[in-house]
Amino acid sequence: MVVVQADSLSEENVVDHLIDKQKHAAPPVKSAVDKFQLLPEFLKGRGLVKQHLDSFNYFINIGIKKIVRANDRIVSTVDPSLYLRFTDVKIGKPSMVVDAISEQITPHMCRLSDTTYAAPILVNIEYISGSHGRKEKMIKNDVVIGRMPIMLRSCCCVLYGKNEAELARLGECPLDPGGYFVVKGTEKVILIQEQLSKNRIIIDNDKKGNINASVTSSTEATKSKTVILMEKEKMYLCLNQFAKKIPIMVVMKAMGMESDQEVVQMVGRDPRYSALLLPSIEECASHGVYTQQQALEYLEAMVKRSTYSSSSTEKQENRALAILRDVFIANVPVRKNNFRPKCIYVAVMLRRMMEALLNKDAMDDKDYVGNKRLELSGQLISLLFEDLFKTMITEVQKTADTLLVKQNRSSRFDFSQYIVRDSITNGLERALSTGNWDVKRFRMNRKGVTQVLVRLSYMASLGHMTRISPQFEKSRKVSGPRALQPSQWGMLCPCDTPEGEACGLVKNLALMTHVTTDEEESPLISLCKCLGVEDLELLSGEELHTPNSFLVIFNGLILGKHRRPQQFANAMRKLRRAGKIGEFVSVFVNEKQRAVYIASDGGRVCRPLVIADKGVSRIKEHHMRELMDGARTFDDFLHEGLIEYLDVNEENNALIALYEWEATPETTHIEIEPFTILGVVAGLIPYPHHNQSPRNTYQCAMGKQAMGNIAYNQLGRMDSLLYLLVYPQRPLLTTRTIELVGYDKLGAGQNATVAVMSYSGYDIEDAIVMNKASLDRGFGRCIVLKKYTCTNQKYENGASDRILRPRKNEERERVLDDDGLAAPGEIIRHGDIYINKESPIETRGPLKSAAALADVKYRPCAQIFKGTEGESCVVDRVALCSDKNNNLCIKYKIRHTRRPEVGDKFSSRHGQKGVCGTIIQQEDFPFSERGICPDLIMNPHGFPSRMTVGKMIELLGGKAGVSCGRFHYGSAFGEPSGHADRVEAISETLVKHGFSYNGKDFIYSGITGCPLQAYIFMGPIYYQKLKHMVLDKMHARGSGPRVMLTRQPTDGRARNGGLRVGEMEKDCLVAYGTSMLLYERLMVSSDQFEAQVCRACGLLGYYNQKLKAAMCTTCKNGDKVSTMKLPYACKLLIQELQSMNIVPRLKLAEA
Amino acid sequence: MESVSYQRFPKIKIREMKDDYLKFELRETDASMANALRRVMIAEVPTIAIDLVEIEVNSSVLNDEFIAHRLGLIPLTSERAMGMRFSRDCDACDGDGQCEYCSVEFHLRAKCITDQTLDVTSKDLYSSDHAVIPVDFSDPSDANDPFDNTETQRGIIIVKLRRGQELRLRAIARKGIGKDHAKWSPAATVTFMYEPEIHINEDLMETLTLEEKLSWIESSPTKVFDIDKVTQQVVVVDPEAYTYDDEVIKKAEAMGKRGLIDIRAKEDSFIFTVESTGAVKASQLVLNAIEILKQKLDAVRLSDDTVEADDQFGELGVHMRGG
Repeated sequence: MVVVQADSLSEENVVDHLIDKQKHAAPPVKSAVDKFQLLPEFLKGRGLVKQHLDSFNYFINIGIKKIVRANDRIVSTVDPSLYLRFTDVKIGKPSMVVDAISEQITPHMCRLSDTTYAAPILVNIEYISGSHGRKEKMIKNDVVIGRMPIMLRSCCCVLYGKNEAELARLGECPLDPGGYFVVKGTEKVILIQEQLSKNRIIIDNDKKGNINASVTSSTEATKSKTVILMEKEKMYLCLNQFAKKIPIMVVMKAMGMESDQEVVQMVGRDPRYSALLLPSIEECASHGVYTQQQALEYLEAMVKRSTYSSSSTEKQENRALAILRDVFIANVPVRKNNFRPKCIYVAVMLRRMMEALLNKDAMDDKDYVGNKRLELSGQLISLLFEDLFKTMITEVQKTADTLLVKQNRSSRFDFSQYIVRDSITNGLERALSTGNWDVKRFRMNRKGVTQVLVRLSYMASLGHMTRISPQFEKSRKVSGPRALQPSQWGMLCPCDTPEGEACGLVKNLALMTHVTTDEEESPLISLCKCLGVEDLELLSGEELHTPNSFLVIFNGLILGKHRRPQQFANAMRKLRRAGKIGEFVSVFVNEKQRAVYIASDGGRVCRPLVIADKGVSRIKEHHMRELMDGARTFDDFLHEGLIEYLDVNEENNALIALYEWEATPETTHIEIEPFTILGVVAGLIPYPHHNQSPRNTYQCAMGKQAMGNIAYNQLGRMDSLLYLLVYPQRPLLTTRTIELVGYDKLGAGQNATVAVMSYSGYDIEDAIVMNKASLDRGFGRCIVLKKYTCTNQKYENGASDRILRPRKNEERERVLDDDGLAAPGEIIRHGDIYINKESPIETRGPLKSAAALADVKYRPCAQIFKGTEGESCVVDRVALCSDKNNNLCIKYKIRHTRRPEVGDKFSSRHGQKGVCGTIIQQEDFPFSERGICPDLIMNPHGFPSRMTVGKMIELLGGKAGVSCGRFHYGSAFGEPSGHADRVEAISETLVKHGFSYNGKDFIYSGITGCPLQAYIFMGPIYYQKLKHMVLDKMHARGSGPRVMLTRQPTDGRARNGGLRVGEMEKDCLVAYGTSMLLYERLMVSSDQFEAQVCRACGLLGYYNQKLKAAMCTTCKNGDKVSTMKLPYACKLLIQELQSMNIVPRLKLAEA
Repeated sequence: MESVSYQRFPKIKIREMKDDYLKFELRETDASMANALRRVMIAEVPTIAIDLVEIEVNSSVLNDEFIAHRLGLIPLTSERAMGMRFSRDCDACDGDGQCEYCSVEFHLRAKCITDQTLDVTSKDLYSSDHAVIPVDFSDPSDANDPFDNTETQRGIIIVKLRRGQELRLRAIARKGIGKDHAKWSPAATVTFMYEPEIHINEDLMETLTLEEKLSWIESSPTKVFDIDKVTQQVVVVDPEAYTYDDEVIKKAEAMGKRGLIDIRAKEDSFIFTVESTGAVKASQLVLNAIEILKQKLDAVRLSDDTVEADDQFGELGVHMRGG
């Protein structure tokens, strides 16, 4: 009976399964819940640079308090009863002290006035003040100890939580994401720094192929790197503090594990492991180390003797132990000299090494994203602040001590007076503006941490903010770290990386990536204990690796073991989903290593995913409806456990379905949207999944050079160089990412009707042919704004520069107003004066009244505009402000409107760049019988080898879009979920509007009026104008300036330099035998010099103008002096050699 | 050699005529003639457009060049243009645009004093010559249309002003041709097509079933063919809708009926579509173009070089002398 029933059941299951499969095969778009709306919601709450803001906010709210709490006392060494204690610290509102009045500042004010957007660091202090034996406790609140540069849109910023209108009032662009600093008027981004995980065991091969296990420990107190190395089957410890590598068993013995058996038990009783351990044990014995005492003595001998600290011998006795306690695997704390946790840690390291030796798969991958941490602005600033704060404390202490040593002080001693504020302010400002992170205390010396925010286009700034700078130097020729890692999926953009030396090392975050911040550890540890983790203290070495238990490792620290790891992990996850523990805590069961990893540290990358139960998404139709109605936010989804963040490690425990209809019963999570694996910059490519992959990478680089609008406040800004498009458009073929990031509001390109055909021969090698009428009507027209600054200097003797009113009838002073400054709106040409300035000749000496100085005491020092000759620019804006020395600072914005010309660079969104080859009249352009005439013609040879099918689909979609009046979409991988229009649908639309389904048109030649032989693929494509324009690059010179030293022509366009005939060009001329040409190029046109050479001594002489005769200085006569021509550089060489006591003699012979 | 006259007398038949739209047939001539006419219409029929802008006050968001460019592109009524002089060969003035023979002056004064943004449009341009004004696009026929869009009534927007912003300028319009700058081109669209000649092989067509016929008709992206409801025969409803896309021919081949249809372009028959920017009426545009074409030919015919080299031209010379 029972059997039959079971059979029937299984049959039903089979049928069910079949139906299921059919369901999967059918177009499933309607059956799935459209989760797309989550994405705008996610980005609305988060912004595009949440990682920076979060990190900085964490530092401001928690990090800085921790630092101050850890170093809260300044105690006088002279009188220990005198102390100062910091009770609290907070960051005030961004403000500036002007004339002793604190004034609120906005970021835009700082940008314009070249100041730093910073807020005071306020502390509450409690200190003992006293004089003449009387001491009293004083409390002061809100004492300023320095100024902290504030990240825009962070919680301290005035822009925080403001709506669009309020932002506009503050002069800020609502689309600007923030996340950068304004330091001395320039916008600075702290790049995300990629690093190897701290406090984690990493098993790797070194250069010789030896297996090693390394731990980079980092605690508040110390930072160290511990390496255990396996060499010739024996294991050693490498630590900087020890001169040589130390047999690992000696270390174990020094930590109190005297019995070899205990070590073997701790490593695990597998006979293979014992066998591998044997050589190490034997070596230890061969050194005669059996007890802890012997081991410590052995170590003592190995300790590097530092040259300066050899004061007390007694202290040195314990140095080995101190190193083992404080430096060796510093992340494992030693409490009350209990070394057991450290021993267990070493045992685990050994075990993992041996595992790797037996099984190569157990090796760790350094390039695996899960083994990496991203260091963000908050962490970097906190390091800097900690250093500066500690320095300040020691300084205060020192000054206090020197004062207290003096016996008869008159005034009462007030600790709070000695707090200096400039060191912190200047230190922070200097680091941010130079990008040099020199923190001696943490042995940190990094350069180029900050960069000036690129404001070429909106995309460029966004891309800059998501950039991750690599840990290695770029010169290393390694392929591993550059390759695309499978674990980057969804976290880091696979397309957006530069070409060339930094290829693959510099990465970008994907659209939905979040970078975690630190989370409080102790509650999580106690929670783990509550959930059944058996404490290490209670376990013997034997029990550590019992086959039915897993180790529980929390942030790299071994907590203990658990007998039911899966249940434990599930419980932790359940708590996380319920919101009882932080949403970014990751729980990862590593079956291979038989360990459960729990991580709550900062810098992990993670991303949100929809949770599925047995393959059924937790998000239902009604959830999305509530979201649309505004009754639900992204955070609600998170709090209700519908969505959770997974980091790279935990992703390994998940089975993630791309779409709901692809889910199987094993599926645990479902992606929100597949196109979120791309980043912001790659997101603006339509149909990137139809392109050859490097094309998308090229576009990512070029999208950042495209001109367009950079921000709503672009005309109110004072950027040193600004490129704007006159008529920017939003792309006809958009993607969801474009709408999410606001590229449709700040576009950087125009929809050009493109005909793919050959025309005129000026379109070879990717050149494009442009329609003159289109250019007349404004296609590709751009505005270039350049800033020129000039300060009206004050000098130490009281004199200062002055600006004079212009003289009449002076052509060069034509554009000047009566105040001596060029007026806005004036047309300015090359060579015009724009500030009629004069400087005093005498700037030193006794103080003089500036007004009393006579006119003759000034020399003209007018600012002359150096533009392109023949081009006329316009003075756009003149801004007057005072700089930090209170000098008058005059800033000019000069505008130049340019229309495209031959040689300007354009590009579509598919990595297909090209220069304008020729410009042709509209009547010569081909036309269709509807009267459509292309804006530009692109050569079809651009397609076969590049394989940019996406561009073709963009053309089709754009054509359908203009015909039917609906923007078409081309999001990456968007066809199944309806975020990209299918070609079939597009073709249908085209046919409906009377076009051919394939996008080709019947075209007539504009020159002859005859139809062309072929159908021409024609339609709109979004074209970007790139910032490279001929006008800025073209250069030629006849005669011109020369370098003073060598008398050779100067170098470079900026100095009107010559064009170099280089080594290879020279070789060509030599090969041709064109000796006179060579002579002319290298000598006559360069640095020909007439030298007097003495035939007697072979040295150079001179020409005496008085005697009208050549003389030899050495021979003191002019008898045998000949005149000859040689390069001035040669003469210089001879003289320089002479100055070095080398005598080069010229021997002349008749040619 | 017997001299054969290739002289032909082209004919024009107007199909549809509106102020800014003209559709006509040009017959009994060849592509060179049709194309010459098209090219002249685009590039060489003169109009008047703003060429020089003197800005007195501009506190708008758009910069001076931007506004000047926009002003230049506004079409001005240019009936006078044919009779005007180019300012470069105007002898009444020194080319600063002050004289009535070659230039027209415009003034624009606009200031926003309310909280609402003010649209400065082509209607705000005041002309010194009542015959040369910005083109009015409002259609008088539906002036009392309740759903009328006021935007079109207001002309072409030049710039939008916020409270306190002001724009004051003087502009000089000059005569010019589209070859110099597209703003002087009176043509929005000038295009022609060869008239198609469609022959259906009725015998072969009858071998098709109704469904096949329908699917064959469907294969054309434009509506060229239809089926007669009564006779169920395929008929050509609109030969000009055919875009030479070959779709029907391919379809016929795919159906295994090669030669089902024969479509040829008539070599000597063109259908022109002319859309004007409004600067001149479309009909006038064509007439002006013919006039200019004639002038150009005259210039060749009457030039000294031509007379000298008369012998070389042979029969062509006879033509040119009006033979």
